[in-house]
Amino acid sequence: MFYKLVFRNSRRERKENGLFFSSLLVAIVAFYIILSLPYQDVMRFLARMESDAVNRLLAMIPAFYGLTLCLMFFLIYYASRFQLERRRHEFGVYLMSGMRRIKLFALLLAEDFQNSVAALLLGLPIAVLLSELISLLTARLVGLGIIGHQSSFSLTAALETAAGFLLIKFAAFLILSGKISRQEIGTLLADQPEGVRPQKPWPVYAVALIGGIGCLAAAYTKAIRGLAWYHIMEMGRTLFLGTAGTFLLFWGLRLPLGLLARRKKSGRHLHVFHFRQLQETVISRSGALALGSLLLLAALCFFGAGVAISRFYGEAEHILDYTFVEEWGERSAEEIRQALQEQGLEEQFSHLFEVKVGYIRTTEDYEHAFEMKPVLEALDELQHSSDTSADSSEDSWRNGSSLQNHLRQYTYPHLIALSGYNELLAAAGLPELMLGEKEAALFQDAEFANEEDVELLNTILKTRPKAQLDGQEITLTGEVQTASIVTDRSITLALALILPDEAFDYYTQENYDIYLNGILAEEAYAHDGLMAAISSLNEKLDAAGLPYESYLQNMGRQLFYMVAASYITIYLAIIFLLIADTMIGVQFLTGQRKTGRRYRTLIWLGADYRMLRQSARKQINWYFGIPTGIAACSSLFGIRALLNGLLSSRVRSNMSEMMWISAAMIVALCMVEYLYLAAVKRISDRYLQGLMEPEREE
Amino acid sequence: MQPILKMESLKKHYGKGKNVTNALNGITFQVMPGEFLGIMGSSGSGKSTLLNCIATVIAPDSGSILMNGRQVQNLKGAALADYRGKEIGYLFQNFELLDNLTGRENILLPLSLHGVSEKESGRRLAQLARYLEVEEVLDKFPTQMSGGQKQRIAAARALILKPHILLMDEPTGALDSKNAKALMEKLSGLNEREASTILMVTHDSNAASYCNRILFIQDGVIFHEIRRDLPDETRQEFYARILEVLAQLGGGSANVL
Repeated sequence: MFYKLVFRNSRRERKENGLFFSSLLVAIVAFYIILSLPYQDVMRFLARMESDAVNRLLAMIPAFYGLTLCLMFFLIYYASRFQLERRRHEFGVYLMSGMRRIKLFALLLAEDFQNSVAALLLGLPIAVLLSELISLLTARLVGLGIIGHQSSFSLTAALETAAGFLLIKFAAFLILSGKISRQEIGTLLADQPEGVRPQKPWPVYAVALIGGIGCLAAAYTKAIRGLAWYHIMEMGRTLFLGTAGTFLLFWGLRLPLGLLARRKKSGRHLHVFHFRQLQETVISRSGALALGSLLLLAALCFFGAGVAISRFYGEAEHILDYTFVEEWGERSAEEIRQALQEQGLEEQFSHLFEVKVGYIRTTEDYEHAFEMKPVLEALDELQHSSDTSADSSEDSWRNGSSLQNHLRQYTYPHLIALSGYNELLAAAGLPELMLGEKEAALFQDAEFANEEDVELLNTILKTRPKAQLDGQEITLTGEVQTASIVTDRSITLALALILPDEAFDYYTQENYDIYLNGILAEEAYAHDGLMAAISSLNEKLDAAGLPYESYLQNMGRQLFYMVAASYITIYLAIIFLLIADTMIGVQFLTGQRKTGRRYRTLIWLGADYRMLRQSARKQINWYFGIPTGIAACSSLFGIRALLNGLLSSRVRSNMSEMMWISAAMIVALCMVEYLYLAAVKRISDRYLQGLMEPEREE
Repeated sequence: MQPILKMESLKKHYGKGKNVTNALNGITFQVMPGEFLGIMGSSGSGKSTLLNCIATVIAPDSGSILMNGRQVQNLKGAALADYRGKEIGYLFQNFELLDNLTGRENILLPLSLHGVSEKESGRRLAQLARYLEVEEVLDKFPTQMSGGQKQRIAAARALILKPHILLMDEPTGALDSKNAKALMEKLSGLNEREASTILMVTHDSNAASYCNRILFIQDGVIFHEIRRDLPDETRQEFYARILEVLAQLGGGSANVL
């Protein structure tokens, strides 16, 4: 009998709380996917090349898992509390029938365990399949067909998922059932009224509403102007204003909802009823709704920022396929070239050219080897004029000032020989750089050069300013050069001078490094694709013992950033979204069941199913719409702030594009919200249909 | 004169096999326009089942219920909703007010359900609120009202659409004697003034003494019927007669075996 009861109750529980049960399934899937990340094809590939970074990321995964387990614990605790509250009367009846408290505890434990096992049995296979699919899909998307697919199934990940999930379920259960089984039978049997919340005069709510909007506006301003990143205190203030603003706004919302309820709408059925229902929920649960909205905001920010960042990393400019470095091995560039020829590998390249990079060797006065006072003075002037001009913006002032500081510290720049650099430009299909005898061009790696800075410098360079190189005057000319001089995108030069070859030889005293760059010929990769061609050439180069850096390794690095950013942010976004939506959904549905008597009264008064359904659906739209709307609005500012703070200056110039990507993501997530909304509506419809069935009330 | 409500051979049973309970076992009676009919009986006698059948909350197994000559069991969809809201008014023992709506909003709820404009019923609302003495609590929420006020608000809600018949299920069950008396006086006054038809199920002999006629039900059949001899018989005398019948019902020969 006991087991029959356990079986029946847990089945009923799953059926009645389908939404919560589905959320648990999604949580299990998310847990497994993040835990099986090391076994994904992309990660296996990356681990071969970037083992340090990958290991560091993988070491962080247990921390992420722990954090999300804690968050899920709160969701499970919250949702289970509502469910157990609903069954108080039933527990009272069990106890009245002579069931011992320990047996009631065992009954609840067995029910909970059965449900958890059901969720795991259903969730884990889905998780394994999905993880496999993601592994295949990401490998294909990033063009890693060459690495060969291996199953991403991990028993450890499955066991860890099960253990973590059961642990939080058990912990939540222990606390809740302890509370319930300690209560008096009389208390359990009696209906627990919601309790009337004391109403405050309307001006109090009006002040809260206006205060909330004010706080949010202040937080938005701080976020969008990038002020939040100035100092930790400023960031704290922004977060505090945003959080307090959201809570105040939700607390004050009862005023406009009350006004909406009072607005006379004679043509609409149950207009007053559904606004009063909404108002009541907002009154009793404004805090939970505000929290839900903040979680949605976090999900939207993570998702939007994650996708925008990953898009940037995927878009790194690519000219060179190979760089052979003389200093890495004992062989000189000429020897490497010869070795390539001997191995018959030279014809694989369409371009094979040397880029020479060196230091100023004619002086040891590192503090004054290079000075460009006219450039700094011109920047000073620009800064001064933007200080006084009416339309000066804080941003341009900051740009001018930071660029000046940046340029001032480079008194001993790298030198690049013009001939090699021009070959690089030719390979990239760019026009050649022409320099006279006493002329030089400024080089800044793309990583350090944002569009505004480059524009500013180009304006100054047009005036052909003079500079001093080891006491000799040279003219800076042309535009700022930014093409990468080697394959490895992690090797960057913050500032360098491009000099004609003779001048380069003189200043470096012919003591320089040679980077032998190669670009694969189209025929070499036309058949299998670039990645496969590089991969097979790498094997041959390894066999020949040649030191090299290939685009594949470089891409691996970029891919690592992309995968790390997108996996973790999207994982967190899903978890936050799940918690927020389940919280709001479960809250609405339990509230609806708690006020089921009202719906019955409406039926007695002549309401038909269509009217009730319409009213409940409207309530659901508002109930989800308010927190989602506020979160979506805040996320536009939040994502901008995140991108402002996290991205390098070069990428910031693509801000508007990234904001569009983020906006698209927000729309995508709002569609997920819509799906959730539809699920909640279906459950609500089913419940109302059940109420329409006559029942004996004697 | 045509009866407003006619029940014929109404049967309803609950349970299966050996556990069958015949809640209604072929009940037949009529309610005439302007009549204040009471139905009394012990717990489980079938009186609430009867009321619920008329209110279409449960369907009878056999027999017919005719409201103004129209078969109630055949009503579906909009016609059924209209019947529930416009042809009958229902007053519950526990008031069943929506506690998140003000008194006024509760009373006007049937209007919004049946698409009646508030302007039309504004006068009716004012009239009812004055008559039932609930004007001062119209803008209060049920939690801010006394039991009597709640039941009078519920009565106003049941009457706002001028139903053909008012069904009352133990309307005084949750009230103290003072509030119960006040409510019954108001309802009986309404019956006299507006010739409203009322069908009341009750245990309370005092409340029943306001009726014109009382049907006593036992084991799903009408066991006895008494009629107040108006205008000669006073309410106190009618009350004494009710007690007599109840004494017979509770301790008479019918229950000895």
